[in-house]
Amino acid sequence: MNRARCVVAAIALLFAYLQALPALGQTLTGTVSSAAERAMEGVLVSAQKVGSPITVTVVSDAQGRFQFPDGRLSSGNYALRIRATGYDLAGPKTVELGATPIDVVVKLAKTADLAAQLTNTEWLMSMPGTAEQKRPLMECMSCHTLQRIVHSTFNAEQFVPVLERMAGYANNTIQARVQMRVAPVKINTAIVAKLAAYLATINLSSGPVWNYQLKTLPRPKGRATHVVITEFDLPRQTIAPHDVRTDRNGNVWYSDFVENFLGELDPKTGTLKEYPIPVLKPGFPTGSLDLEPDAAGNLWLAMMFQAGLARFDMENKTFQVFPLDGAANDAAMQQSMVMPRSDDVDGKVWTNDVARHAIMRLDLKTGEYRRIDPFEFLPHGREHAPYGMAADARNNLYFMDFGDENIGRVDAETGATTIFPTPTPNSRPRRTMLDAQGRLWFAEFAADKLAMFDTKAETFKEWNVPTPYTYPYDVFCDRHGELWSAGMASDRVLRFDPQSGRSVEYLLPRPANIRRVFVDNSTDPVKFWAGNNHGAEILRLEPLD
Amino acid sequence: MWRRPILLVALTLAGLTASRAGGQMTFGDDTNTSANDGPPFFGFVRDADGAAVGDARVTATVKSGGAVVTTSNSIGVYKVAGFAKSINPDDIAISCAKDGYKQANVMRRPNGSGDMKDPIEVDCVLQKE
Repeated sequence: MNRARCVVAAIALLFAYLQALPALGQTLTGTVSSAAERAMEGVLVSAQKVGSPITVTVVSDAQGRFQFPDGRLSSGNYALRIRATGYDLAGPKTVELGATPIDVVVKLAKTADLAAQLTNTEWLMSMPGTAEQKRPLMECMSCHTLQRIVHSTFNAEQFVPVLERMAGYANNTIQARVQMRVAPVKINTAIVAKLAAYLATINLSSGPVWNYQLKTLPRPKGRATHVVITEFDLPRQTIAPHDVRTDRNGNVWYSDFVENFLGELDPKTGTLKEYPIPVLKPGFPTGSLDLEPDAAGNLWLAMMFQAGLARFDMENKTFQVFPLDGAANDAAMQQSMVMPRSDDVDGKVWTNDVARHAIMRLDLKTGEYRRIDPFEFLPHGREHAPYGMAADARNNLYFMDFGDENIGRVDAETGATTIFPTPTPNSRPRRTMLDAQGRLWFAEFAADKLAMFDTKAETFKEWNVPTPYTYPYDVFCDRHGELWSAGMASDRVLRFDPQSGRSVEYLLPRPANIRRVFVDNSTDPVKFWAGNNHGAEILRLEPLD
Repeated sequence: MWRRPILLVALTLAGLTASRAGGQMTFGDDTNTSANDGPPFFGFVRDADGAAVGDARVTATVKSGGAVVTTSNSIGVYKVAGFAKSINPDDIAISCAKDGYKQANVMRRPNGSGDMKDPIEVDCVLQKE
């Protein structure tokens, strides 16, 4: 009798559970079409519940069909948006999800303003000019898109004071918050005049439309449509997530390039916690850049113009800061990088001095910094800039010479530097990671290449990215040996298999300015994470294969 | 005979190509090259039979500390862009290495013109182990 009651109760519970499932996760499917193309492949369809900071995006397949994965959407009113260059969303613009699955017919119409939809990469593809003329524009993207330039009406003469004004902006400036450098800036007037003259040929200074054809990249196809992208809106436009990484609980941590906070996002709810970083230099630009864990798993931040390093205790949730003292801490002092991964070896943490193009080493016992000029013996006519950093198991440092074309190694014991020029000249290697096999993966920002330096064999390999003018900022090698990369130009995430040469580029739902990239290897398939530095959002990309 | 002029042109072009610093907007290449440069180094890596050895690791070591490591190309040529003017070129030691080989000889060619800015040719011979 009791057994029979238990069986009935179990069946009742199961029934109740099944009944409850639709309330937990709604099914939204549909088709995308337009009068011009009928069923459309490669259209990004995004759904954001009213009042929620989370937007989920899927991509239509070859039949124009799309489907949001089960469990990603709950009951409620959703705003829909699309991304398909050349088109706008005609409708529907909202959808109400209830207890039953919904299949929507999404209609697109040709856009009246194609220029507004172009990525930086597409503008660079479109505009006339030599590679040398276009090269300086890669700097502009640090603070704004190229839309600002091409839509301007300045002539060459009018551009000069604009460029001179912007030279005074700190590099941790975004459109939502301009931050001024305190140290005076030396301006090369000849270079400014040359750039101004070129910019006046690609903007609207000579007429209401551009005198060149606007070129666009094709929409995603095939494998590039097999993806789910989730955007987590941050509550203020002045939050500029720069470096992003997940912890063992699945929470997402990011450095804020503009505001003086360390951020922690719960991706299950979109809830954000912000931990204020002590202000060391009031009146100087705020914000931090590099975010790296030390050997114990605590997070370190390079404090940029606040001059110093900060260690965040992951248990106590408190900061310990290591300020710079003495005459070196002048108005130009800036730390963009920190490398504490092997601090348990010798109690030392690597960082850089951007203004003096030097490397510094923090002694955790004394709090003192030792300066190393890694380029002392090289020709003094070239500009160098130690940037992305990695440390091996002996705490030897590998760094990217972002100003030039070198990988450098600094011996942990002697401080001696060895320079390895990249095979491609003027490659400007930017950010890097060292894998368990001693392979240093890095992005050659100015060369449009991904690269690997084998620290054991001391040899390089380089691969062109599939789309010119991508300017990859960073690269991450996942546990399968696939590379993930992104940057500030193309609004795309590149997945590249260096063994087969096969690549796929995932288009992102919105204009994206991506810096450090991170891959969560604990899931299958892996998950890609990054911050949208100019878009106040955290991005998660889940490939479906 | 022809190889030296070609190399000189290549080295000159490499020297003219400039770069910029990180951390500050300079709106392009803002580099004053050559004024403070010592001479570049170049040369050939060959085996004992005189055949070119590509993918050999060539190290230019500075006596006072520091080194530059590069690789020979498919015809055995390597180049090192140079060092600070304050470094005496005689204090630069060139060595070469490749798996399966050992270094047999390093030959520094005399500078015919006597101009201290002229590239310095140092050839390297590897012998199969």
